Amino acid sequence: MKAIRRGGLALVGALALWCFLRPAQAQTPPAEGALLVGQVFDTQGQPVEGAHLRLEGGGNRLLAETETQPDGSFALRLPAALPYGNPQQAPQGQVALPLWQALPPGTPLSLQVARAHFETRRMPLSGGQTAALRAGQIVQVAPIQMERRIGLAFWAALLIFSGMLGLIASGRMHNTLATLTGAALVFAVSYLGVLLLPEVYIFRFEGALRYVDWNVIFLILGMMIVIAVVERTGIFQWMAYRAYRASGGRLWVLLPILMLITGVASAFLDNVTTMLLMTPITIQIALAMGVNPLALLLPEVFASNVVGISTLIGTPTNILIGSYAGISFNDFLRNLTPGVVLAFIGLVAYSEWVYRRELHGAGRASPLLLQKLGERARITEPEHLRKAGWVGAGMLVLFVAGERIHLLPAVTALMGATALLVWIRPDIEEMIEAVDWTTLVFFITLFIVVGAIREVGVIAWLAERIGALVGSNLTAASFVILWSSALLSTVIPNIPFTAAMLPVIGYLTSAIPGADNLVLFYCLSVGAAMGGNGSLIGASANLVTSGIAERAGYPITYREFLRRGFPALLLTVGLAMLWLWLRF
Amino acid sequence: MSAIVCAIRGGPASQPTIWRAVRLAQETGLPLHFLYVVNLDFLSRTSSSRVHTIEEEMREMGEFILLTAQDTAAQQGVQAQGDVRHGAVGEQIIALCREVGADYVVLGAPQRRDDSDVFGADRLHRFARSITEQTGARVVIAGRTGAL
Repeated sequence: MKAIRRGGLALVGALALWCFLRPAQAQTPPAEGALLVGQVFDTQGQPVEGAHLRLEGGGNRLLAETETQPDGSFALRLPAALPYGNPQQAPQGQVALPLWQALPPGTPLSLQVARAHFETRRMPLSGGQTAALRAGQIVQVAPIQMERRIGLAFWAALLIFSGMLGLIASGRMHNTLATLTGAALVFAVSYLGVLLLPEVYIFRFEGALRYVDWNVIFLILGMMIVIAVVERTGIFQWMAYRAYRASGGRLWVLLPILMLITGVASAFLDNVTTMLLMTPITIQIALAMGVNPLALLLPEVFASNVVGISTLIGTPTNILIGSYAGISFNDFLRNLTPGVVLAFIGLVAYSEWVYRRELHGAGRASPLLLQKLGERARITEPEHLRKAGWVGAGMLVLFVAGERIHLLPAVTALMGATALLVWIRPDIEEMIEAVDWTTLVFFITLFIVVGAIREVGVIAWLAERIGALVGSNLTAASFVILWSSALLSTVIPNIPFTAAMLPVIGYLTSAIPGADNLVLFYCLSVGAAMGGNGSLIGASANLVTSGIAERAGYPITYREFLRRGFPALLLTVGLAMLWLWLRF
Repeated sequence: MSAIVCAIRGGPASQPTIWRAVRLAQETGLPLHFLYVVNLDFLSRTSSSRVHTIEEEMREMGEFILLTAQDTAAQQGVQAQGDVRHGAVGEQIIALCREVGADYVVLGAPQRRDDSDVFGADRLHRFARSITEQTGARVVIAGRTGAL
C-alpha cells in the first residue's frame, strides 16, 4: 500500500510538474526579437535627436515605433516572426505572433521618420530587409538624412533671440531678465501660441532642458564659491601694493606688473571679479602717485580680457567652448597660452607707448596717501588665504591631470569648493549669498533661448551660409571666424554670441578638411574674448571698471575706450592670429 | 552746531568744488565736512549680486578720495573732516546736513551733457531747493557765483 501511495504521490508530483512546465515547452523558445537599427542626420551631418520613427506595413498598420537618441541612433525592436511565413506551415504548437498574422509574406514594410522643424520622410524597406526582420534578425538601414523645414517657428525663435540680444546690448534690461524673458517667450509660443498657430511650436520644456549645459553651470557655480573665499582675503590689495613697492615708484615699471597681476588673476578667476577687486586699489595707487588712474586702469582691463583666455576657467566663453568641443584645461594651456603671452607682450608695449606721457611725467606723489596705502595693504584673512591656496593648488592639479581620468572640470570645481567650505567652515548662508545666482540663471535661460534657435534650424542655416562663404579653405575659415567674432564682440555681448556660434563652429569643424584639430574653436575663443577690448560695452569687465572709475571722478567715455581699446584689439588679435597660424 | 557740507566724487571735476568749499570755510570759519557716497547702481545691469564684493573696497576708495580733499584743505589751513556713506547720494547729503546742522552745502556744477554726472542742471536746481527746504542750509554750486 505504501508503495502504491508513494507511486501515486510520485505520479501526482510528476503531473503537477508537467502541468507547470507544459506551457513553456509548448511555446516557441523566447526569441530575442527583430531589430531595425540606424542613425538619423540632418543635411549637415549633425545627429538628429528626438526624431519619431514608425515601422509600418500593410496599409499604415503600426508595427513598432521609437525615438532617436542624442547621437541620432535608433533601435526599433519588434517581435520576431516565425521564419515560416505562413502560420499553417509552422510545426505543431508554434503559432505566428499576432503582429505578423495580418501581414502575409511579401507585404512591403516602410519606415516613417518625423520630427518638428524637419520634412517627414517615408522609406520603403527592401524585400531582403523585410524578410530578415520577419526572421527575427538585426537589420541595419543606411544613414537617414532629414531636411530642415523653415516655417513660422524659425522666424518666431529668431525674433525672440534677436530681441533678447538687443535688450542686452542696449542695456535696457538686466542681462538675466533679458534671457529669462526670452526663455519665457519661447515657452509661451510653444505652449500657448501653438493653440492658435500650430506651426509656431518650437519645443517643450523637456526638450529645452536638453540644451542646458550643466557642465558649464556647475563649473561656474564651483568657481564662484572658491572666488568668494579668495576675494575676502585682501590678496589683491596686498599684491597691488607690493607691485608699487617693487616698482620703486616708477610708473613705467609699475604698469606691466599690475597688468601681469590682473592678467594672471583673470586666467583663474572671472574677469569681472578681478577688475572689481583691482580697480579700487589701482585708483588709490594712482591718486597716491599723482597720476591719472586711467593710465593704469585701461591697460589692466585690456590685460584682463586678453590673458583671461589662457585657461579653461578664465572666461565664461572658454568654459562654453571647452564644454561643447571637449577642449580640456591642458589643451587651452598648450594651444592658446603661448599666443596669449605674445599678445600680452604686444599689449604691454602698446600701453607703455600710448600712456608714455603719464608714465614718464612728473606726478606729484602724496606722502600722506602713500603712507595710508601702506597701512591698508594687508592680508585680512591669512588663514583663509593659506587654505584657499592649498585647495586652489589641488584644483589646478586636478584640472591638469583630470583629463587622464575623464574628470570633468565641473566636478573638480565642485569638489574644490566643497573641500574649501568644509575646511574653513565659513558662514554657509553668507557663502551661498556670495554665489552669483543671477549669472547662473542667465546661463540656464540663455542656453534655452540659444537652444530654440538651434532647434528650429537658425544655426544650421547660418552655418550653411558661412560654410558656403569659406568653402573648404581652413585658413579662410579661421580668418573669418577670428575677425568676425572679434569685431562682433565689440557690439554684441560675447557670451550669447559664443553660445550661438558653437554649433556653427561644430559644423564647420566637421565640414572643412583639416579642421578636426579644433583650430576654429580656438579662433572663436580668441576673437570673442579679445574683441571685448574693442569697445566699452564689449565686456562686462569694461563696464565694471568704468563704473568704479566714474565713482572716483575719472569717467571712461565710450569714445575714450574706443580710442585706446580698438587699436589694442587689432594688435592683440593680430598677434594671436600669428600664433594660431604657426601652431596649426 | 553749524557747518559746511561738501559732497564730492573725486577726480579733476571735483577740484573746483573742493576749492570753493575751502574758501567758504576760510570766509565763514565754519567746520568743513567732505562727503563721499558709495553708490553701486552701476552694478545693477550686469553684476547686481557682486555688491558684497566691492562695497568695502569702494568705502576704502572713498576714504582715499576724501583724504586727497582733506589734504588740499589742510594746505590752505582748513582742517576738514571726511565722511563716507552708502546709499542714494541725495538722501545721504540731506542726512549729513541734518546731523551737523549745516549752514552751507557745496555741490559741483554738472560738467557734461550726458547722464554721467550725479545731477543734471535741472535736477541739481530741484535738489538744491529740496535741501534748503528740508534742512535750511544754503546751497552753493561751485563754478557759479553766490548761493542759490
